[in-house]
Amino acid sequence: METLLMIGLLAALGALAVAIAFMDDLLVVTMLSGIFSFTCCAIFVLFDAPDVAFTEACVGAGVSTVLTLAAIRLTGRREKRVGRRASAVGLLVSTVCGLALVYGTLELPRFGDPAAPANLHVAPHYLNESAAEMGIPNVITSVLGAYRGYDTMGETVVVFTAALGVLLLLGGSQSRPLHRGDAPARADRDVILRSVATLFVPMTLFLAPYVQFHGAYSPGGGFQAGAILGGALILYGLVFGIDRLNRLVPERVLQVIAALGVLTYGGTGLVTLALGRNFLDYDALSAGPTGQQIGLTAIELGVFMTVTCVMTLLFQRFASRRSEP
Amino acid sequence: MFAAVAVALFVTFALALIRAISGPTVFDRVLSLNVIGTKTILLIAVLGFATDRYDFIDIALVYAVLNLIGTIAVLRYLVGDKERS
Repeated sequence: METLLMIGLLAALGALAVAIAFMDDLLVVTMLSGIFSFTCCAIFVLFDAPDVAFTEACVGAGVSTVLTLAAIRLTGRREKRVGRRASAVGLLVSTVCGLALVYGTLELPRFGDPAAPANLHVAPHYLNESAAEMGIPNVITSVLGAYRGYDTMGETVVVFTAALGVLLLLGGSQSRPLHRGDAPARADRDVILRSVATLFVPMTLFLAPYVQFHGAYSPGGGFQAGAILGGALILYGLVFGIDRLNRLVPERVLQVIAALGVLTYGGTGLVTLALGRNFLDYDALSAGPTGQQIGLTAIELGVFMTVTCVMTLLFQRFASRRSEP
Repeated sequence: MFAAVAVALFVTFALALIRAISGPTVFDRVLSLNVIGTKTILLIAVLGFATDRYDFIDIALVYAVLNLIGTIAVLRYLVGDKERS
């Protein structure tokens, strides 16, 4: 049954990819990408990778569609027509790249092959020793936070850098006048939407800390919790207007907290250095699993702060910009 | 039992997908986006129960809470579009 389902979902992915390539209405492309993300999530679940599926769910369900739409509002809804020659070159380049990638996969070990290099090098140590060394059941969290702490720190810095890039490109820290779509006169419209949001935003606010602190036992952690809390704030902004969101969480505060998140992560590393161990070696904080857990909690908090603030900042900056005429 | 449910869900998913790709109006696509979201939530929950992995419910829960954000954003965009023109 699972094989059939997998074939069906992969076929759906293929159909979606072709459809996206042929559409020139970017609004439709955004919606189809949303469906693409849903399908991917189902496939990840089928592959028994709940942590990856969870991340896809957090980012794909809320944030990515909203940010793409906000960008389309600034650039226009129609794709620019390109000449026949340019598209022929594009087709040629992507066909060659695609064939090269397919050729590359021929040499890869089969899915789930126990003799694959990925399953021989450090993976057995992670799987066998994680419970004793970290004292938490979710191996993914211990790999992300402790064994491969450097990589996760790099990812957090990448998220932060992306926000810096957008803030510099879209310029100006003061929020601009509202675009017409969000006029305050809406207050007496959208009664259903407002009532639903009044119920949903607090529920989402509860979900975020659960995902944050339950990350040691089930899929979740700082990144996902940050995306959920960011999604809740974006929902608030969408329904009640960007102006109220700006008053609730001013951009300046978000910028400071986003930077503090990266600082918390890097600072944990510096503390372990100061205590005479390697960078991000949590054994310095306390011996055994306790030290690891203290370290994991600290860095997950840093990731959470950065991701929440970056998601919200991006939305605010896009939404408070007047759209091009 | 679970297999039958999963197949039924997938058929619904495929039908909504056809509507999403062929359109023709934006509102067909908004609806099918929403339907596919709901089907994915259910599919993940069914897979979780079928394989005794109850932590899959968390994923379904996140979708259930966040799924409406995308739909609201699309509709908001359309309202703004209409008022601009």
